[in-house]
Amino acid sequence: MIGARSIAEPTIKDTIIHRMDPRAKILILISTVFVAVTLDNPETMLLLFLIILSGFALARMPAIKLKTLAILLTLLIWGTIYSQALFYSQLPRTVIFTIISPDVPVLGWLTSGGLFVYAEGLHHGAIQGLRSASILSLGLLMCWTTDSRDMLNGLVGLKVPYSAAFMVVTAVRFLPIIITEVLTVVTVQRLRGFNPKRFGSGIVKTSLNILTPTLSNCVRRTGTLAVSIQSRAFRANPDRTYLKKLKFSEFDKAVVAVCIFAAISIVLIKLLYNMYTGGIYYSAGLRPVYALARGYL
Amino acid sequence: MKNIIIFLLVLGLAIQPAAALGQAEDFEPEDMTTFLIQVPHGVEGNGLAVGGSNLSAYVFFESYYEGNMNVTVELDFPEGFVLQDKTVHSFLLRTEYDDWYRLVDFYVPADLPSGTYNITATALVEVGEKQHTIVRKTRLKVASKEEVAEEIEVSGLTVPSDEDGYGDPSHPASTLVIRETSPALKKLLKVTDLKIDREELTSTYIGVELSNRGDSKVPVVITYDILDIKTGEPVKAFKPAIMGMDADTFCYATLTLDPESSSLVSLPLYISENAMGGEYLLRVKVKLTGSDWVAVTKDQKITAISRKWGPIIITLVSTLLGLTATGFFFSRPEQIMDRFKTRNLVLIALFGTVSFAAINLPMTILWELSHAIFGPFSFLFTGLFHEVLLYMLIASLVVLIPKPGVVSLFMLVRFLLGGFITGSFTPITFITMSLSAILLEGLMYAAGITGKNPNPENRFRMGIVCGIADMASGYASFSVWMVLYRLFYSDWYIMANILIDGFLYTFIGAWFGISLGNRLKKVAE
Repeated sequence: MIGARSIAEPTIKDTIIHRMDPRAKILILISTVFVAVTLDNPETMLLLFLIILSGFALARMPAIKLKTLAILLTLLIWGTIYSQALFYSQLPRTVIFTIISPDVPVLGWLTSGGLFVYAEGLHHGAIQGLRSASILSLGLLMCWTTDSRDMLNGLVGLKVPYSAAFMVVTAVRFLPIIITEVLTVVTVQRLRGFNPKRFGSGIVKTSLNILTPTLSNCVRRTGTLAVSIQSRAFRANPDRTYLKKLKFSEFDKAVVAVCIFAAISIVLIKLLYNMYTGGIYYSAGLRPVYALARGYL
Repeated sequence: MKNIIIFLLVLGLAIQPAAALGQAEDFEPEDMTTFLIQVPHGVEGNGLAVGGSNLSAYVFFESYYEGNMNVTVELDFPEGFVLQDKTVHSFLLRTEYDDWYRLVDFYVPADLPSGTYNITATALVEVGEKQHTIVRKTRLKVASKEEVAEEIEVSGLTVPSDEDGYGDPSHPASTLVIRETSPALKKLLKVTDLKIDREELTSTYIGVELSNRGDSKVPVVITYDILDIKTGEPVKAFKPAIMGMDADTFCYATLTLDPESSSLVSLPLYISENAMGGEYLLRVKVKLTGSDWVAVTKDQKITAISRKWGPIIITLVSTLLGLTATGFFFSRPEQIMDRFKTRNLVLIALFGTVSFAAINLPMTILWELSHAIFGPFSFLFTGLFHEVLLYMLIASLVVLIPKPGVVSLFMLVRFLLGGFITGSFTPITFITMSLSAILLEGLMYAAGITGKNPNPENRFRMGIVCGIADMASGYASFSVWMVLYRLFYSDWYIMANILIDGFLYTFIGAWFGISLGNRLKKVAE
């Protein structure tokens, strides 16, 4: 069983990935999300995924993190494969298994002619799963290689209002305490006879009964915390100073520039290509661009 | 005077037959008639047929003579041909430009030896007392199927093409675009003065270039089918019934191919709304007129792109709303944040933490695990966390802080926390959360749950407001998945998700959230 903390907490090391400016990481993540959403070519998507995975090697991630990543990716990709195998709506499609036959009363009608597993859907799901997998992997790489304070400094550096950043700081700081509290409540529930691992009523009852005691503690803490923060001149002045100054290195600048340029280029090329295929806009001079989009993107 | 009149009358009567006799004597059959025969119909010169064909010969006679003309036409077909009509036809043409024609049906037996056969048409023309004979000969080549197949070739296929069969470079080759017929989009295009030239069903045309390498004229009928690439079965969505008639009635072209020439024809291609995207096989078939035998086929792989405008528009609108809300927040952060006390901000942050610890963290594994195990029915299980628990928290938070903006800040904390801790900085999370926040804020304000005189404790109102907002953001979420991640979902699945997860679970969550909020209020006091 992978503990919640092992998923949540970053692993701080001195690698090229860890040393990157958090603002650079956020910008790289946003650029990569645009690229991942835009791509359609399976080979290029696989390449992007492998590049992102190589970041985990560069960051020398511990085994527990890699195991977590592997489990999450396996479940994510399999979930996508499974859903697409059922809902694939293109031709050709080959039924390899029938889940609900069209002749089944009520369910056959409800599912508009049955529910089948399509071979082509499995393939499509695997390709599309790469897209989500790339975004998730990069997101995890960023959060596992960045201290939450640095990440929040990065957000403030990217003009996120300080009050909003403060809320997230508070939330992050309280996360281990809340998790401990939730685990305590779960333990108490177990002692009272609930089994939270059992699917169905165990999970439901446990979850519902977690809320009241946990939230009651939160509300109690709120007053104390608010007084403590206000006594330290929170929001008294519009400008703030920070203990740690963020600074882009030359490497950060280069990587960010490459990522943003690649993202803008790929999005523009695909946009032009989709306008061409949709019969909205065509220019003979853009033929190489169309060829590039069709062949590689 | 009387004598003069009688004389003129006699003279006139005497001259008239003489004049008529003189004209009959001047009658030139080739100059004063048109007599032609086409075998098969439409082919002037040497025609081509295969054994087993039912054909029609076309016989035409026209007079340029002012008087009566008795004509007897006799057709002489070689031995072996089976005439299905009489061979001798007699008729009377009375005036200039009077004409007569017949389609004479005949059958070319399947076992008729290959070769060229002469067909003769003889017209016996009686003008006055004189008789004239006009003879027309034509030749029909009866070829074996192998010979015909070698002579005719589909030398080019252009999909899509224009009405004349020529390719249009502004459309990708071998690609059909299936457009969802959206009344809303049509209205929008009309408002923006953009025209929709496309008919409801007509999608495009197929250009077919045919070559005839032989020395005979070949009348052909060209049709096509769009087949499932795996099963080879025709796909009806690409040949839908039009005005109650089978599409085969419309989707064909006839052509007479001259010897050693190429010709281009276009065939209309209709696409119904329920057509699916994917790979297909376009099969063009060329039949010789009069025969069901397919002389030539040409296959070409084509791709149909399914372009659903509904989800695209919803995704665009949701994204724009999300970006606008974010822009609004970034443009006046102090004004927005100063409306909340520090205690409120801390409480919102802590609720965000609880939602993350109780929902996001367990769901990181459970969500995917549930999808992997339960497949399409996993939402019945995951909805308990994502809808019941989440909306319990939202409703109780609103009971504690009934101010506009509280839901948005809660969503912001959840989004950023999810991004930092589990790497879930995805466009879908952003769009769904921002849309959900906008809808909840708007509806809660409109329903009087938040605002100047807030009344957040009506369970039913809170349940309905949250249910409607979650249904809308849930539908938008499916659209975003379909557009940005190219995933497919059945309509029934989307509907079940929206109704059960989006409304029912949310309603239950909001309902219990009021009780939770009231209990927490006592703790806070």
